[in-house]
Amino acid sequence: MTPFYTSISKKMFASNEGWPVTDLIQYLFNGLVAGSIFAIAAVGISLLYSVLRLVNFAAGDFLTLGAFITYFFSVTLELNFILSIIISMLAGMAICWFLELVLWRNLRRNKAGTLALFLVATGVALMLRPIIQYIFGTETRRFNVDILKTYDFFGARIPQTQLIVLIFATISILLIALYMAKARVGKDMRAYANNPSLAAVSGINVDRVVMATWLISGALGSLAGVFQGLVQGQFNNAMGETLLLSFFAAVVLGTIGDAYGALVGGLLLGLFMELSQLDIFFGGVPSNYKPVVAFAALVLVLLFKPEGLFGYRSRKV
Amino acid sequence: MAILEVRDISVSFGGIKPVRGVSFSVEPGSFTSIIGPNGAGKTSLFNLISGVNKIDTGEILFRGEEVHGLHAHQIAERGLVRTFQGAKIIKRLTVAENLMMAVQGNPGDSLWRFFTPRSRSKFEKYARYLAMERLDRVGLTKYADEFAGILSGGQRKLLDLSRALMTNPSMILLDEPFAGVNPTLVEKLLEVLASMRKQYEITFLLIEHDLETVMNISERVIVMAEGKIIADGLPNSIYENEQVIDAYLGSRKRGA
Amino acid sequence: MEAFIQPGFWIFVLAMAGIYGVFSLGLQIQYGVAGVMNFGHVGMMAITGYAIAILVIRFQWSFWWAAFVGVALAALGGALLGLSTLRLSGDYFAIASIAFAEITRYWILNSDGITGGTQGTLAIPNPRGFGGYTDQPDVILYWIMDRLTPYLGDNASRDLAILLVVWPFFFLFLWISARLQKTSWARVLRATREDDDVPRSLGKNVFRFRLQALVIGSVFGGIAGAFWAVQFMLLAPEDFLRIVTFYGWMILILAGATRVKGLAIAAIFFGFLYGATRFVEFWPISLLSAPERSYLRIFLIGVVLIALMVKRPQGLFGKRQEMVLE
Repeated sequence: MTPFYTSISKKMFASNEGWPVTDLIQYLFNGLVAGSIFAIAAVGISLLYSVLRLVNFAAGDFLTLGAFITYFFSVTLELNFILSIIISMLAGMAICWFLELVLWRNLRRNKAGTLALFLVATGVALMLRPIIQYIFGTETRRFNVDILKTYDFFGARIPQTQLIVLIFATISILLIALYMAKARVGKDMRAYANNPSLAAVSGINVDRVVMATWLISGALGSLAGVFQGLVQGQFNNAMGETLLLSFFAAVVLGTIGDAYGALVGGLLLGLFMELSQLDIFFGGVPSNYKPVVAFAALVLVLLFKPEGLFGYRSRKV
Repeated sequence: MAILEVRDISVSFGGIKPVRGVSFSVEPGSFTSIIGPNGAGKTSLFNLISGVNKIDTGEILFRGEEVHGLHAHQIAERGLVRTFQGAKIIKRLTVAENLMMAVQGNPGDSLWRFFTPRSRSKFEKYARYLAMERLDRVGLTKYADEFAGILSGGQRKLLDLSRALMTNPSMILLDEPFAGVNPTLVEKLLEVLASMRKQYEITFLLIEHDLETVMNISERVIVMAEGKIIADGLPNSIYENEQVIDAYLGSRKRGA
Repeated sequence: MEAFIQPGFWIFVLAMAGIYGVFSLGLQIQYGVAGVMNFGHVGMMAITGYAIAILVIRFQWSFWWAAFVGVALAALGGALLGLSTLRLSGDYFAIASIAFAEITRYWILNSDGITGGTQGTLAIPNPRGFGGYTDQPDVILYWIMDRLTPYLGDNASRDLAILLVVWPFFFLFLWISARLQKTSWARVLRATREDDDVPRSLGKNVFRFRLQALVIGSVFGGIAGAFWAVQFMLLAPEDFLRIVTFYGWMILILAGATRVKGLAIAAIFFGFLYGATRFVEFWPISLLSAPERSYLRIFLIGVVLIALMVKRPQGLFGKRQEMVLE
């Protein structure tokens, strides 16, 4: 289903002839919005990979869950929107906390291999999805915000909700980066990611670091879900799942396991996906192929620079 | 003519330069040891020679042919085989299978030979025979059909060595074969190496961090430090080399 | 509970088991033998299924040629996927393989003129005015049904005919796979599963071995796709969601990654799960609507995957020793 906002802005374009810069501004803005959300989601995935070597297949469904929980509190229970977002972030953290205690910790103790982690993460996704569907249903939902109000910026249509999302997402990104750089847990995470056994003997509480990673990724997942729900205007239970590979693309682009890289990778991917619709690229990629642009970006990065933008690798012959 | 010739090779990984302009050559049938402290670039050098990593600059010639552009398996096929630090055996294959895997020219390795089972089974018998012969020589026959994962550290080293031999190589690179091995077993390994040399005319190039261990078996010792060769000569001459004493042996000699 | 005593239910279960058994046999060769984690296996199924539909409906090919070309295309897909990304480490390849399957599905979804788009193969442009492609295999299926009707009456259904065609193939493939796993080719691959530096240092072209395993697995994925296409008589993009790959993985893990014989039993278990969540009418399942049941199926598969990986990673028929050897 085409997101509500796209259909409106596309129509607006059609009548807005003359200024080619308008297109560019519009796509740049859309790209920044999409990219900032990718960045937030990608950081969570990248952190988990760096600390646990876990590719979190359930990340997409955590987004959906976050959006639906926020919806439940803000629309159904008519609570304050910001408060609802905070509740949904706490809920995301709680689920991650629970899963770490009952599931991941055991797997780690049993020295589970890559495949086991892959499949358990998938299993979590497969369980989460029906639960969301059972509780919240399959209908499309919409947050209780004015999605029609738009600003005009050199002919480009800037919807109010997207502008707000962009501002808050940017603040979140800066906070995450600051937290990773300054907070003790952030430093411990990097130490543990670089050398788990060394970190363990040098007095870092491994369980605490891992738990912190899960909590952060749970909170970020919910946050990204709300943002994505706002930007789309309306969403259903398939929202996160369809975005999952784009997040992976962002993570790989920014060097898998590098949190700062994931931030940049997310932004770049968002811009890339939106700007690919400009006419100068093969006459513009149709918007329903946007996900394919992300997959193609993923495959291209894997092919030509699998170490990502910020990594290096020892070259194999 | 030298069997292996390394000409001025260098490599860097993201700012670190483990090997900087190393040149040396090895005569056929000789036994050469490369020694040096940890981080001297010994294993990196092996990785370059065996094709695990690619060199940035320089040339590597094996039996007069350039091999530095080849894949690791192609270099091994030409008879230059290496072992890895800590005896990498395949734990979930049996001991005999570990050896049988290494036999060269196995028609069963080609998928198309799936349709000619007879030629495959014939070769399997031959490979098994070879494997049992090698196992007998190192005293591992009774473990032939056990998973290799149950072997002790020393037995793994023996298996590792025998496996390298199964490929019928003309030269073997040994990466710290004596690391973490007790003195009695070191003696045994040295014995096995000496008998291998006598029997198959194989050229050995060996990495070791301790000079004493390889004193007697080596005909020549190359000393590396910080990615460069700082000395090259007879084992005894190494003791008298000023640079070596400074860079490597120094701490021990002076302390004693 | 009635459904459980109806032959029709079990015939469906076994037919599905046969098709998905062949599908997961492909994964077994890729992962169980070669250690290649392919999470885009469903792409091969989609390629073959759609190739058959398009070639038969639009270009009026014979079904048999179309099936042959379809499977060859799946092999080609596997080869392309492998050539481009198999040199990467396991995590990366897994992600790349998902992307491969998703690109395939998006292409099918958005190429209305060729694939019928969201409406499925019925909407493929065709000169005859009818979007079926199973005429030729149906001749055989109906022949089988006609032979059995005197004995079995209504139970001699199309599902039964498919079952009788698929299972001999499944057993044949299992036998081939078992033989294949005894070759020295598979021995090298088992070594690469554990440590690919060693076989490489012994002169084995590890990449070639892995690529071969990937292509063979893709061929089985493609064959399963052909069976699938015949069984359901029409295809739509949502038949080839990511989840289908995990149906295959569940069967594989249940059987134990290296157990050839366990695969048939695990496939039947999956077929039962699939059929039970689709047809069975008893409390509490009877409270759920059709879409809710498909979600129940997904949920159960999630549960089985997690429980297996936590409690019994070697699968029901595997040896624990193989998993824990240090």
